[in-house]
Amino acid sequence: MLENFSFRTIVEYLPLFGQGLVTTVWLSVLAFAGALAVGIVLAAMNLQRGWLFRIPAKAYIDAVRATPLLAQLYFLYFGLPRLGIILPELVVGILALSLNSGAYVAEIIRAGILSIPRGQVEAGVASGMTYVQRMRFVILPQAFKVTIPPLLGQAIVLVKDSALLSLIAVAELTRAGQLLASDRFMPAEGFITIAAFYLLLYYGLKGLAALSGRWLGLAGVRT
Amino acid sequence: MTLNLSKNGTGMIEFRGVNKWFGALNVLKDITLSVEPREVVVVCGPSGSGKSTLIRCINGLETIRDGDLVVDGQRLGDPATNMTRLRTEIGFVFQSFNLYPHKTALENVTLAPIHVRKIPRAEAEKAGRELLAKVGLADKVNAYPAQLSGGQQQRVAIARCLGMRPKIMLFDEPTSALDPEMISEVLDVMVAVAEEGMTMMVVTHEMGFARKVAQRVVFMDAGAIVESGTPDEFFSHPKTDRSRAFLSKILRH
Repeated sequence: MLENFSFRTIVEYLPLFGQGLVTTVWLSVLAFAGALAVGIVLAAMNLQRGWLFRIPAKAYIDAVRATPLLAQLYFLYFGLPRLGIILPELVVGILALSLNSGAYVAEIIRAGILSIPRGQVEAGVASGMTYVQRMRFVILPQAFKVTIPPLLGQAIVLVKDSALLSLIAVAELTRAGQLLASDRFMPAEGFITIAAFYLLLYYGLKGLAALSGRWLGLAGVRT
Repeated sequence: MTLNLSKNGTGMIEFRGVNKWFGALNVLKDITLSVEPREVVVVCGPSGSGKSTLIRCINGLETIRDGDLVVDGQRLGDPATNMTRLRTEIGFVFQSFNLYPHKTALENVTLAPIHVRKIPRAEAEKAGRELLAKVGLADKVNAYPAQLSGGQQQRVAIARCLGMRPKIMLFDEPTSALDPEMISEVLDVMVAVAEEGMTMMVVTHEMGFARKVAQRVVFMDAGAIVESGTPDEFFSHPKTDRSRAFLSKILRH
């Protein structure tokens, strides 16, 4: 089988893979930034005592977690134009990833905030801090540190999920592999190459996680 | 309208017929107690008697169901009372320290003065260093709580309260979570604070401390104040069966 494996074709397509890789990286960065924003808002809503904000947040998170990302992507891709909202595929793709990943990020942040001992809140209350001050100076800095490892895990999931954007013709990494596969009828070359690139991205993020872990240790955070 | 009772010669902390329930459990029963400015009151009693709940009501960590609780002339639960502002006048020392683990000792002390009291950073840090020196931790200003012993953490926690220049200090079993050899270093700091004229309510069973600085010991059982008197009266001549039973248990050790 390997004698038929064409490294030459892969090399020939490297510029295309390179472009795809770059696109995957920056669209993932943007989508994850969006996911963080969505997640923070949802987590804040979900932590309210009153049901007015909590119920919609819970419903949203359940809906996202219960349905396939592909369905969500198509829902936006075909649904938005029917509402008269015409957006480029890339924007729709980033939006879908942000809205999807945001639901998971929200649960990670919520768990992080709830993991902070009650005594920390009371110490802030007793010293006359307002709710916002307690969040800003006491709770969020601690919650942030405990959420970094699971957030990086979610970032890895998001990078892999971005492969689905190839289905709405976003020229990212998987799309590059598909092009090679269909142009030259070489699916093995196309998909093994993109798998290698995803592996590369994975180790990059894992390295980042290790670095952040060392930084957490230095900052004297209890683990 | 805020009742300005302290100007009328009444207490810094005034409980008048205060009741509180946790569900069906009457945790505070008709509490009436007045603490004068500069007075040190020790609260003791068996576990579950409501001592912690009593002092947690004073800074609003718990809310009362009925009766009046007036602190520094302001009635709690009154719409005119700004609870957040009132809390800046009340230091609270927890049994489990509750230092901010992501902040150094100095940052723990200066956080609220800078952001709540709005004291300029340089000034707050100077005062913070002085306070840490006062509690014997001049060499630990840059240490994180995890790097400190329990006794050292509790002393930082006391300095953190003093940094707000409070009128009242409340201590909720401040030495109960400490190893025996660390208890005296914390009590020494509390004695020093008391001797400077701070109004204090201290939930503790440390009789040495009570005899040294307290003007009054209040004994609670099952949510009610059963007995109150000077430390000498209370420890040497307890008046009720319940206080005698309690004292015989803590004195045996």
